[in-house]
Amino acid sequence: MTANPLAANPLRAGLRLPRTPDSCAVVIFGATGDLTSRKLIPALYNLLRGRLLPSGFSVVGFARRAWSDDQFRAAMKEAVSTYSREPLQQEVWDSFARNLHYVSSDFSEATGYERLAERLAKQDATHGAGGNRLFYLSTPPNAYAGIAHHLGEAGLSRGNDGGWARLVVEKPFGRDLESARALDQALGVVFRERQIFRIDHYLGKETVQNIMVFRFANGIFEPIWNRRYVENVQVSVAETVGVENRGGYYEEAGALRDMVQNHLLQVMALVAMEPVASFRADAVRDEKAKVFQAIRPFKDIARETVRGQYIAGAILGQQVPGYRQEEGVAPVSSTETFAALRLEVENWRWADVPFYLRVGKRLPKRATEVAITFKRAPLPLFRESGADNVTPNLLVLRIQPDEGISLRFGAKVPGTRSDVRPVNMDFRYGTSFGVDAPEAYERLLLDAMLGDSTLFTRWDGVELAWNLLTPVLDAWQQGARPLEFYEAGSWGPLGAVELIERDGREWHRM
Amino acid sequence: MASDVSPIERLEEHPVPVDPGAIEAEFTRIWQETAGGDESTIRLRVLNFVAIGLVGDAQARFESVMAALPERHPCRGILVLPAPDAGPVSASIAAHCWRTAGGGRHVCSEEVSLRGGTDQQRALASAVLALLVPEIPVAVWLIGPPDADTSFVRDIFDAADRVFLDSALSGSAEQAFGYALEAAGRHDIVVCDIAWCRLTTWRSLVAQFFDRDDGLRELARLRSIEVLSGGRSLSSESLLLAGWLISRLGLSAADVAFAPDRLHATLYDGVNPVTLALTCGPEGDAPIQRVRLVTAGAAFLIDLHSESGHLHVRAEWPDAPVHRTVERPPLDDAAVLTDALDSDQDSAVFDAAMKAALGLLGGAVSP
Repeated sequence: MTANPLAANPLRAGLRLPRTPDSCAVVIFGATGDLTSRKLIPALYNLLRGRLLPSGFSVVGFARRAWSDDQFRAAMKEAVSTYSREPLQQEVWDSFARNLHYVSSDFSEATGYERLAERLAKQDATHGAGGNRLFYLSTPPNAYAGIAHHLGEAGLSRGNDGGWARLVVEKPFGRDLESARALDQALGVVFRERQIFRIDHYLGKETVQNIMVFRFANGIFEPIWNRRYVENVQVSVAETVGVENRGGYYEEAGALRDMVQNHLLQVMALVAMEPVASFRADAVRDEKAKVFQAIRPFKDIARETVRGQYIAGAILGQQVPGYRQEEGVAPVSSTETFAALRLEVENWRWADVPFYLRVGKRLPKRATEVAITFKRAPLPLFRESGADNVTPNLLVLRIQPDEGISLRFGAKVPGTRSDVRPVNMDFRYGTSFGVDAPEAYERLLLDAMLGDSTLFTRWDGVELAWNLLTPVLDAWQQGARPLEFYEAGSWGPLGAVELIERDGREWHRM
Repeated sequence: MASDVSPIERLEEHPVPVDPGAIEAEFTRIWQETAGGDESTIRLRVLNFVAIGLVGDAQARFESVMAALPERHPCRGILVLPAPDAGPVSASIAAHCWRTAGGGRHVCSEEVSLRGGTDQQRALASAVLALLVPEIPVAVWLIGPPDADTSFVRDIFDAADRVFLDSALSGSAEQAFGYALEAAGRHDIVVCDIAWCRLTTWRSLVAQFFDRDDGLRELARLRSIEVLSGGRSLSSESLLLAGWLISRLGLSAADVAFAPDRLHATLYDGVNPVTLALTCGPEGDAPIQRVRLVTAGAAFLIDLHSESGHLHVRAEWPDAPVHRTVERPPLDDAAVLTDALDSDQDSAVFDAAMKAALGLLGGAVSP
């Protein structure tokens, strides 16, 4: 295969998409699961609708359930009808469905992989998949290493006849530093780092990508994006939902593993990283890794972290049970559903600027935001009129819902006095771009097929994140920071308020 | 993000004095009434969208665009309608409001219609210039055949960043392409041919054929290009598609034979001849019905299905033929303009395609 033959396609000039992916087969392990129905297949269908899929494209579902191709197609049609952001169109669906196939096998059954290899070879001939394969692990994490091993044994870790093979791995990537390293080693026996795409669907969100655009496509923000002007940074993810039907998974994970280790630290890195020289995958990931390297290890976990668990309360006018009453949760569970951290990035740009991270379930509203508070003006000119206490400027990057950006600044209240009142300048995606953004999985699946790993996490980033947080998990395990309880519908435990008030600050009100 | 955005509602239309201050005040009154004490109404303009109506249905077409465009490109829409019996310049305004997803904020864009007699064209142009919202781009849409070259049109083009015209509305594609090139050069603006915008899907699908690893090798062995357009005469789109292939592949044309309903030529890439056949047929009225490319080792076909409107795409590679069906995006004025305003038009590719199409027509002899 040539390095990048498509870059030279003269017919691509001036078209929005520089290229479509190589013809390929997407193999989904765990094809009967929720993620496949809700996200993956609808995303692929919408990519086809948008003419973004290559002509020689096929999907092979791989799972235990004894389904035929037709049963798989019927189930996926139902999934697209239910979950696709665009309605199902019969003729387009028929074209898509012709390329859907299914292999029934246990993940640990070697013969299943042999059958898969035969199926893929056949599809190379019939669908023109070009020997290229994208393996998507939509399975419980404990199956990852085994699947990779069997793929290697079946000769599927390389594409057929000069084609490529890539492995997409869902989070969580390990449950601490040790297990993450073990998993990395297990995958590394079969796949090289450049073949592994660790997905963090937050990075596929338009508004998360817009953090980079906001910072690096506008000349006015970068000069003030540093310790001289920024007072503190807060990254908050508030969810109104509890653990839904994922009690079993959540018991093993908790908020720190489920959200902080990946989503929150990734968003924080995009806010804190240095400008990149290019948007090549490694250039972006190098800069993010430098941020993780510069985060000071925790000195006093009891003071710099908070862990909480919700008890019964009310959300949006509805009574909801406590975490320990949820299905699949132990009645004496000590799993945290809320976590808050105070971090410092020790580099020239951010020294002495605290980064506060918080995430919680059963909070009063659903919101994900980055709030950057700027330092006050150096001279309080309007003191005499009682306006010296001007609220500091606040820049809020809203990731969901109501995606957008707002900037708070002081304005004079009309009248004879010099009263100053904070006002907001708002940008909202929903009003400025009245268009459906693609689902995060559409962007990420397309990028994986294109071999563009910019929005995927690299091993060193994963390792550095675990390196930072594993001591927290260990200390929590040993009781260094007791679990605090908070009522569902509140903004989390009292300790979270104390964590930030100790610095003379308060959480941004979402 | 905006999947449950409410439809745009046209709020009211009534005459106002031709005075930017009065118009501004009247819009403020409408928004305040719309808000009705609800502070979540916002007024948004990221674009001046000026339409010059030169044909009878211009107002209806402008309104249909304004019923959709502001949701994607919130704008001040200004329609200019010169008419022989219109008398002095008069203005009327309307607001376009919609709710964002989830019944959220009320967002309003605005519309000003200016009418005036044909002897009032300078006054009309001056009114347009006074009504442009500063510091935001100006897009001009010429509704009608691209042949108007009055001082009124020139004044408005001078204020534009981009001009949209439709060569398909001209009786002569050659004249329309010449007009577009002339306007781009004279006013230092980006001229976008709506006929070219309608080709985007076709161009993407043709390009996609050759994204395969061995695609470029096959593209270099192109042997024939066939484009079928609907109707009784060759469409601008078919000429532009041919021009695009000629310019992108560095082909030169010889032996061109042209009649209103067909064009045949032999193209050369320096080594091999490539036959070009543009024809039209009675199967439908779509500007392009079918595109077929044949190379030394494969054949490629995109066929518009007349009933469903979907595109059937076939790549007859000898090792693995591929057939699929994709959706064709809507081609009404609103959809095409909305999409075209989204993209940074690569005028170099369009200019080259148009010049190649002109070259075909200019070098043609009657069959």
